[in-house]
Amino acid sequence: MYQALLTRRYLFSKIMPLFSAIAVALCTAMVLVTWSVMGGFLNQFIASGRSLIGDVAIAWPHGGLPYYQDLLVKLRDDDAVEAATPTIESLAMISLPSGQRKAVELIGIDPEGFNKVTGFFDTLYWKPLDQPLPSDHERRDIRLDPELRDDLAAAHAAGMAFKRTGEDSTEEVDAIVIGAMLAGANQMTRGRFLDPAFERMWNESVTIGVVPFSTRNVAVDFKYRRFPVANEFRAGMYQADASWALIPIGVLQQMLGMQESREIDPAWRPGRILLSADGTATPEPPRVIGTSPAKITHILVRAKDGITPEELEARCEALFEEFIAEHPSLHLPDSWRRAIYTWDKKPGVANFIGAVKKETALVLVLFGIISLVAVMLVLAIFWAMVSEKTKDVGVLRAIGASRGGIAWLWLRYGLTIGIVGAIAGGILSFIVVRNINPIHEWIGESLGIVVWDPSVYYFSEIPNKVDPTRAAIVIGVGILSSVIGALIPALRAAWLDPVKALRFE
Amino acid sequence: MTHADSSNPTGHLATAHLASPATATPFVAATNVHKTYRLGRVSVPVLHGADLSVSKGECVAILGASGSGKSTLLHLLGGLDRPDAATSGPITYKGRSLAEFSTHELDRYRNRSVGFVFQFFHLLPELTVIQNTMIPALVGMGRLRYTRERKAINDRAADLLTRFGLGHRLKHRPAELSGGERQRVAIARALMNQPDLVLADEPTGNLDQKTGEAILDVLLALRDEMQQTLVIVTHSQPIAARADRTVRLADGKVV
Repeated sequence: MYQALLTRRYLFSKIMPLFSAIAVALCTAMVLVTWSVMGGFLNQFIASGRSLIGDVAIAWPHGGLPYYQDLLVKLRDDDAVEAATPTIESLAMISLPSGQRKAVELIGIDPEGFNKVTGFFDTLYWKPLDQPLPSDHERRDIRLDPELRDDLAAAHAAGMAFKRTGEDSTEEVDAIVIGAMLAGANQMTRGRFLDPAFERMWNESVTIGVVPFSTRNVAVDFKYRRFPVANEFRAGMYQADASWALIPIGVLQQMLGMQESREIDPAWRPGRILLSADGTATPEPPRVIGTSPAKITHILVRAKDGITPEELEARCEALFEEFIAEHPSLHLPDSWRRAIYTWDKKPGVANFIGAVKKETALVLVLFGIISLVAVMLVLAIFWAMVSEKTKDVGVLRAIGASRGGIAWLWLRYGLTIGIVGAIAGGILSFIVVRNINPIHEWIGESLGIVVWDPSVYYFSEIPNKVDPTRAAIVIGVGILSSVIGALIPALRAAWLDPVKALRFE
Repeated sequence: MTHADSSNPTGHLATAHLASPATATPFVAATNVHKTYRLGRVSVPVLHGADLSVSKGECVAILGASGSGKSTLLHLLGGLDRPDAATSGPITYKGRSLAEFSTHELDRYRNRSVGFVFQFFHLLPELTVIQNTMIPALVGMGRLRYTRERKAINDRAADLLTRFGLGHRLKHRPAELSGGERQRVAIARALMNQPDLVLADEPTGNLDQKTGEAILDVLLALRDEMQQTLVIVTHSQPIAARADRTVRLADGKVV
């Protein structure tokens, strides 16, 4: 019982325990902030990736997948599938109103179907808002502006329909939706909303250029087309926000020559001249030998609730096999199985996730090693405190305290410091993580240091959530570290010769 | 009060006994006790063949010069230290050798049966006067018993301190007390668990004469009241003169 009294008294009467608790708090906070941000980054990446790609993708990069409607029917009829939608992915060049030209990932989508799989409509940025974002304390978000309400509502409708009035007419034409960070026209503000810096892209037009390839893998032309911008999307994943552009799938099929078309005899060569019986020379018309079906490059599939991506992947493989069996003319790539993958196995994504996981583990190991400093610090401080309290130990032994009791006094002391320090560290890390974006911006504005570069970390915002399980683990380890740090001094105190302790000066 | 010097020619029991016949089991006794301290490779014998026998209720003063082994003998009697295993005779309490005590029994012996009073008071500076007084009671109990007996413990500590004239100092820290007050707190602490053996190591050595005598008055009055056995180590003849009996230690032996 005396341990509780002495622990309390020692705790509040000396400065050294405060230093110990601060050391534990800082180490706990450091590890928890790191884990929260890196782990949160990974989770955000996973969540964003799913929302952009769906649960499973079936890819057919070899010139496009024909008869895909048959596969879509199979998929949509399956019990594991919530929705499935075809897409075409292609590299393209975009010419922006500013005159800037850049490469983009152009994706042809069916808006309704794509939304069912990915929830894309939720990412459309320009729409009227009734309430400001929680971080927009000054209500500066232009989406709150009543004067822009109609304009924004039109942009929102246009973004969902992929239609907008053309530049020179009042007729609705096919439109494009681009990532909110693609054009460089929007600035992220401290209130976490976008501020169109010099032009409102939803009123502008862009030019898209693509290179279609023939079935013989020959670039047959360079196709370009001007699109009015219907809206911009903000998925939160920087890579998508900065380099993706979406247009209706039918339009992209046309541009890439993947629409349904006549199939020409491969032996036919343009330019051949036919002589008629009357001696008239005419160019030989293409020899049509059939109809080439429309093609796509990907089918994105969303699982029904309760179905894991892995279960859906297995189901998709089975359905795909059936589909292939029904279409023997389809030439299977050697690695076709790998063309069906859960979203996190998508080429490029899987490597990235693996790298981030390793990086997170590495950082945690490094910080864990650094946290040993806390253990050593607690050990050193406790060692000094035991030395200072040697006489107290002698007195306690003289009045009947056991060795175990003395050891428990110091262990309990370490435990108390650990609990105080680790909980304080947990609270500190919670405050830091919750406010990490404003803190980051403040550091950037004050010191000119940009730690979180969205082009490197994919997201324009630093993850700001503390996972309770992780917090519990880190706080637990923090407490344990403190107890371990106190262990050796505690044993030393317990084994002090009481007579020598009483004579200690 | 009777004084019996310990110049026993046999070299064994150094005393005549006041309260009990010579054949009776002594309350606490040390027989041919040896104690050697080791300073690195050097052995420093402190006691070599010391004998002491104290009867129940007796007040014995151990006189001797500095380094004669007085405090060491007191520590051995109190179970705070152990004599040399190979050469030493037993130290007994109520006829039972302390060497037979398990570690737990020895801790319990120090907590329940013995009360130490030190020259330099050895109060715990972080605790208040009343907390210092009640700490032996806390050492001997768990949280459950403390919760049950909290008021009784508090009352007893406060009662002891009030009797020592410190009723108005209960919440003070040792640093706020005079030397005499600190020693009275130390005595109250030693008596908290109502031990039947009080071992006082130069209890007045760090006090002026007047205060020292007052402290001795307190100790002897309590001995009379509580029938405790009192062993006082001192190098002061006047202090020793107030004991029932005086034992002299020189060069690690009772002379």
